[in-house]
Amino acid sequence: MLSTLAAAMAADPTKGLKAIALGVGAGLGTIGPGVGVGYIFGKVIESVTRQPEMRDEITSIQWLGFALTEAIVFYAFIFGLIAFFL
Amino acid sequence: MKTRTKGLIAAAVLLVLIVVTFAAFGSAGKNDAFQPQNEFKLEPWINLKLGPVDMSINKAVFYLFLASVLTILTMTYIARRMQSKPNRVQTLVEMSYGLMRDNITRGNMDNKMASKWFGFIATVFLFIWFSNMIGYLPLPTSEEKVNVFGVHIPSLAIYAATANLSVPLVLTLVVWISYHIEGIRAKGFVGYLKGWVPGGVSGAAAIPLFVIEVISQFVRIVSLSVRLFANILAGHLLILFMGGGLVVLLGLAALGWLTAPIAIAFFIFEVGLVATLQAFIFATLASIYLGEATAAGH
Repeated sequence: MLSTLAAAMAADPTKGLKAIALGVGAGLGTIGPGVGVGYIFGKVIESVTRQPEMRDEITSIQWLGFALTEAIVFYAFIFGLIAFFL
Repeated sequence: MKTRTKGLIAAAVLLVLIVVTFAAFGSAGKNDAFQPQNEFKLEPWINLKLGPVDMSINKAVFYLFLASVLTILTMTYIARRMQSKPNRVQTLVEMSYGLMRDNITRGNMDNKMASKWFGFIATVFLFIWFSNMIGYLPLPTSEEKVNVFGVHIPSLAIYAATANLSVPLVLTLVVWISYHIEGIRAKGFVGYLKGWVPGGVSGAAAIPLFVIEVISQFVRIVSLSVRLFANILAGHLLILFMGGGLVVLLGLAALGWLTAPIAIAFFIFEVGLVATLQAFIFATLASIYLGEATAAGH
């Protein structure tokens, strides 16, 4: 793997650095949404155990919140890709 | 043993196995013959150029066409042969109809708006759902050819029209423009713009709030389209890399045995959750925007 990386670096150093930047940026971008998704599901478990009769309503809001939070990972990823290809 | 310890051990074992396969087999160099990233390359099948406008029929157009035909045909077919004793497919469609009518549309708009826009929201939901779902069906659309008894047919490949930014962007622009028009029709131009400032704020404090609201209206175009596009693109990229892309890039065939189960897991996750969830989110947000634009002040 290191030899592949070294070959890529030798051919075009900025491309290798850009690839590393994309990986680090997208990776760091997953931290916040990761915390957020965990928080949403934790809160859902908490509220369902408190009020089990509200389960259906909570579930539909839960998926909305999950999808909205999860999408933030992909914003980081897409902007990383834009930086990589520009 | 704690669950966390088990997870850490499993990840460590996977990592060690990957390193061991590297040490044992070594890299055969990058494989240039097979290029899995061609999944996202759009080659024109039929050239159609109207001056500067490129209207060529390519893979994405084919998938769009397939999704629209499926949306229209399945729904009209099931609606024609409704039975009082529903079979399984009809029950499913009725369930999704209930979801679209009660949950997505009526939950976010008043009744008059809901009956007016239900058709649009339901079509958008079903169209996005179908184009996400056929994106995970292997169809013979690849550029690689397979020789079957002397006939060269394209090999099976997956692709989704929604993994191309232009498709979600057009859907988003339709929603964006139509909710502004609905808002202006309901409240008048000045009244609609006034509605962007939260109630109870007046004087100089309203100006920065108005500017922020204008920015957020434009950010909605980006967020609504990129959310759908990036979810589907990232799903396809994950399946692509785990199911062969990584092996080809690193030139190490033995690694495929380790990444293939991950690819299957991602495939099930995408088909079971993400495809439906993204269609649901798009339709829900579209109806929230439509409902908010016409709501009588907040």
